[in-house]
Amino acid sequence: MLEIKNLNATVGDTPILKGLTLNVNEGEVHAIMGPNGSGKSTLAQVIAGHEDYEVTDGTVRYDGKDLLELAPEERAREGVFLGFQYPVEIPGVNNAYLLKAAINAKRRHNGETEIDAFEFLQIAREKMKDLDMDPAFLNRGVNEGFSGGEKKRNEILQLTLLEPRLAILDETDSGLDIDALKAVAKGVNAMRSPERAIILVTHYQRLLDYVEPDFVHVLSEGRIARSGDKSLALELEEKGYEWVREAAGT
Amino acid sequence: MTVISHELLEAASNQLPQDALTPIRKAALSQFAKTGFPTTKDEDWKYTNLGAAIELSNRALADESASVAQPTWTADAKRAIDEILENIDANWIIVANGVTALETLSKAEFLESRGVHIWKLSSGRGDSAIISDDPMTSFNAALLRDGLRVSIRPSAYEAKPLGFLFIDNTQNGRLSQARLIIDVEAEAEVDIIEAHISVGSDLHFENTVVQLRVANNAKVGYVRLQDKASSHILVGKLIAELQKDAVLDYGSFDLGGALVRNDVSVDIVEPGASVKMNGLYLAGGKQHIDNHTRVDHRVGPAVSKEEFRGILNGRARCIFNGKAIVHKGADGTDAEQSNHNLLLSKTAEVDTKPELEIYADDVKCAHGATVGQLDTSALFYIRSRGLDQEEATQLLTRAFAGRILSAAPILATHEYIARKTDKALDALIDGSTT
Repeated sequence: MLEIKNLNATVGDTPILKGLTLNVNEGEVHAIMGPNGSGKSTLAQVIAGHEDYEVTDGTVRYDGKDLLELAPEERAREGVFLGFQYPVEIPGVNNAYLLKAAINAKRRHNGETEIDAFEFLQIAREKMKDLDMDPAFLNRGVNEGFSGGEKKRNEILQLTLLEPRLAILDETDSGLDIDALKAVAKGVNAMRSPERAIILVTHYQRLLDYVEPDFVHVLSEGRIARSGDKSLALELEEKGYEWVREAAGT
Repeated sequence: MTVISHELLEAASNQLPQDALTPIRKAALSQFAKTGFPTTKDEDWKYTNLGAAIELSNRALADESASVAQPTWTADAKRAIDEILENIDANWIIVANGVTALETLSKAEFLESRGVHIWKLSSGRGDSAIISDDPMTSFNAALLRDGLRVSIRPSAYEAKPLGFLFIDNTQNGRLSQARLIIDVEAEAEVDIIEAHISVGSDLHFENTVVQLRVANNAKVGYVRLQDKASSHILVGKLIAELQKDAVLDYGSFDLGGALVRNDVSVDIVEPGASVKMNGLYLAGGKQHIDNHTRVDHRVGPAVSKEEFRGILNGRARCIFNGKAIVHKGADGTDAEQSNHNLLLSKTAEVDTKPELEIYADDVKCAHGATVGQLDTSALFYIRSRGLDQEEATQLLTRAFAGRILSAAPILATHEYIARKTDKALDALIDGSTT
């Protein structure tokens, strides 16, 4: 589904990704781990299409299409979803309005009929209940005045409403207390399906106790230094990132 | 530099009917002769050049009478009036090219029975207030055919807002002077709408002065809506005086016009008064919109809170100058001003200057201004959810503007203003504003 080959990307003049290669198939859950500055978030932003990141070499193919050719909104409509590490506060833009507009943008793209406000509220309330979210959040500005945990839950709410084919969750676990972490993990697990791939970008192994990955990759210096199954995450937790760097000879 | 022809001005003024206003026009003429129009050398007019208005005035004075006695309606003028009347539920008085339309005087009779008294300035009552040393006010008085004095009695019980619809139609002349003197008596409450619209593609210059006194414990909601044609000039002034515990809640919306100057001057003369001022200006193409506000805190305690926001595109130029003067002894003053601007193009320009002059000791004052572009991280966030660049821009600009509308008084105006604002924003974003 997602084929990344020799991806090189810079921010400003600083190279961050230096020849990253990764294949993700339908139904798989991949965890991407690595120390700060290894390029985890850059990878997530590049896949979503952030213009601050320049791809200098390599290819990213999604369902056989050149993903890098698509505008961020086109990627979203094609089923790519990024759960932000730092969800943006947008005062004055109603959360429900944005969610409904996002759902309908995708439905239009797929040639489906748009949902109306009533249908939207029904679906949203149900999903919010699963995430233990107060429905009042729908009527607030997007992420406006939300706590860290509320913002992350709002990202997961969007994930469950938009039902993407490829979800990249960028440090969705960071800054969460145990209850919020469990709620988020429950939301992510509910999204696991044979048609969907999930990439969990995380610094810590903690989330992986609740969402079990099929593959774990360790990023170091802008490329994948090591890949394995979930035991790699445990090993990493025990030995630290220094171990990967040494093993990779970087 | 373009200057006004005093001969033409005097001749036009003398042509107006001999009535109670005649001596006032004469006094205003000699007052205006001392100053002429303000120029960019005046600090308060640094960024706004009235050259085009002066040139237009000279031409209009040369080949038209100063104002027509009773304007005629064209089909598009009627349509423009109906649009306002159908969308904002208020008791409307129509002022066409500066002259109160006869058709709406029956409304005045109705209002009379509800404690709202309206009479013509030419009937000779309460005219001492007409002249001041302000040049634009003198110019207005020199060419004033007539104006209205409105008194809101404490017993007024009309729930609908009182609306003044200033409509200018170039077919009836290219120069309009309108004057309103509104007296809100002690304990009275009223909502006032001041709407400026116009039709015609020729150049036009409207110069309007509104004087408002809010007496002890009276409350006024005030909405100014400016949606004039794209070749029209408006210089407008609101001069307000707030007495003991008076409340003025003011909202201003500039959605149209070629060159617009909006002066708001609030004089707090007795303690306990409070004024809230919110304003929104949208400008694209070559529009020029200048908002100058001034609050004089002569006594304390009193509160003034002000926020103006602007969205600019194309080569638009906007000016915000918000001055709060806390006079000696005005202790207990709480004054706040802010101005935020969103520039959608590199060629738009805004000059912003919130100013505080404080001569008292025990005061709480704050001010701030920002000029910026749309938040790129918010744009990306919205796009990453499947909305395109234009929708994202639209959402963010509407949100930026929406703060002013939601803070504005007179709910009866909100739906219409929101709709017109959205429409004006769409035109601004796609660059079709001229």
